[in-house]
Amino acid sequence: MANKNNKNTILIVDDDTNLRTILFDKLTLDGFNVDSAHNGKEGLEKALATHPDLIILDVLMPVMNGWEMLRKLRLDDWGKNAKVTMLTVLEDADAIAQAMEGGSFNYLVKTNEGIADIVDNVKNTLEV
Amino acid sequence: MKKARLKHFILSLFIFGLLFILIQISRSIVQDIFANPSKYFDPNLSITEISYLVFYNSAILISVLLSYTIYLLFGANIRAEASATIKTRALSEAVQQLTDIYESAPVPYLVLDSKANILIPNKAALRFFGVIKEEILGKNLFYYQPKEDGERVEKFISYYNSNLPINREEARMITKNGKIKSVLLFVFHLTDRLHKGHAGLAVIFDITEEQDLAKAKSEFLSLASHQLKTPAATIKWYSDVLLSSDLGELNQKQRGYAQKIYEVNENMIDLVDTLLNVSRTEIGSLPVDIKSTNVPEIIENVLGELSGQILVKQLKISKLYDKEMENLKSDPKLLRIVIQNLLSNAIKYTPARGSVSIKLEESWSNKSITISDTGIGIPPSEQGGIFSKLFRASNTKDLVDVSGTGLGLYLVKSIMETLKGSIDFKSEQNKGSVFTIKFN
Repeated sequence: MANKNNKNTILIVDDDTNLRTILFDKLTLDGFNVDSAHNGKEGLEKALATHPDLIILDVLMPVMNGWEMLRKLRLDDWGKNAKVTMLTVLEDADAIAQAMEGGSFNYLVKTNEGIADIVDNVKNTLEV
Repeated sequence: MKKARLKHFILSLFIFGLLFILIQISRSIVQDIFANPSKYFDPNLSITEISYLVFYNSAILISVLLSYTIYLLFGANIRAEASATIKTRALSEAVQQLTDIYESAPVPYLVLDSKANILIPNKAALRFFGVIKEEILGKNLFYYQPKEDGERVEKFISYYNSNLPINREEARMITKNGKIKSVLLFVFHLTDRLHKGHAGLAVIFDITEEQDLAKAKSEFLSLASHQLKTPAATIKWYSDVLLSSDLGELNQKQRGYAQKIYEVNENMIDLVDTLLNVSRTEIGSLPVDIKSTNVPEIIENVLGELSGQILVKQLKISKLYDKEMENLKSDPKLLRIVIQNLLSNAIKYTPARGSVSIKLEESWSNKSITISDTGIGIPPSEQGGIFSKLFRASNTKDLVDVSGTGLGLYLVKSIMETLKGSIDFKSEQNKGSVFTIKFN
């Protein structure tokens, strides 16, 4: 869903302020409409309220972790098909995710990807 | 015992013979006395008195000899019996001592029958399983292992049934309250025929605490590594943005510094990844996913990553690929870690304009990957320890700009064990090294 400026909207959900900031700045620079949340609970509320085109979701977060947010998101009519990119430090989390039936999503390991790779991945996912 | 009896019999015969000869001699003396009494006695004595004297002295002599014979005959037996009693007592004391040692040894011991049912558990064994004697008697030793370890338990049972010793095998055992303990298991066969039915002796070394500690250490390492990855990702992305022209161009010096931050951070990420993998192999949580693995593709991919160094050092890379190796049954992620470590070592420790060769081979018995270099080699005296944790060869100290964690080959070895393969090497100082990994 595109917003009124015809820009793709991205919601970043990550508890680390520095990572959130650099992602926010970079994606904004590259022309996306970016919002952020600092845990799964806040992320879920924002996602269900604003229906972003893509959710970039961390896993290890306080209050509500990424898996829990993903599971709850998939219970929602809009959320069950929402585009999600998991962005985490966990290497072997894809297996966990499948076991948790989180639906389809992208999966990136933070330390393996340069910020340009992440932007490329976002563009591919949004087909822009 | 039989020998002693024979000895007594022969001795008795000898004494009887002696007695017989003595009686014969005394008889001839008596005859001589009666023939010429004046030669021996006062001629005034009457014949009755002489007879009395002769008879009296002979009787004394004979009775002395008889009683000595009797003493020898029966006394020997009594002495033998007495010494046997002493020996039996010493024996039973020794048995008691052994039993005491067995009973109060701090290590669990269990005497087993031919089907590995428990016959005699010692106190430590009862403590280990948290049971009283009656609860464990007659139960099968291998019954005290978790159901999930079925395959391993089957192996132990077949070993036991074929009279093979179980020597220092890692196993898990369940106690009465359901706690699973890690142990080193030894089961030996008893050849002692004194006790019928005693077929085996099990010895259990409880290593639960040691394993828990090692696990806690590895888990801490894993947690710490994950925690380190977030700041590492932060540095990576901020220096990424600085180095891109997104925020405007940096001058040459600024760019150089930002580049240094980026590179050093990449090294740290590698180190953290290695630490994580080490802790995973140690916890045993390294997931193994065996599928069709394209080895040449992995090698090309790793060479691509290392192309910067290859170019700078002008190394000659030669490759010999076997078509079969495009379809090796292995875990591609793990095999990549192995190849990455071996290739990066070969490149790192080979001086400029040297060469590195990669050979993939397939024979009837195994498939192998051989990576050889013309590098600095490993000093002979240090070759025994190259797969141990934190190993660094002494001749790497003088190298400038070569960093190593001392974890690479340790990890490679652990992974090859996980993949049920093997690793070998040959190395000559200042000539080069050859590492070969094999899959069955």
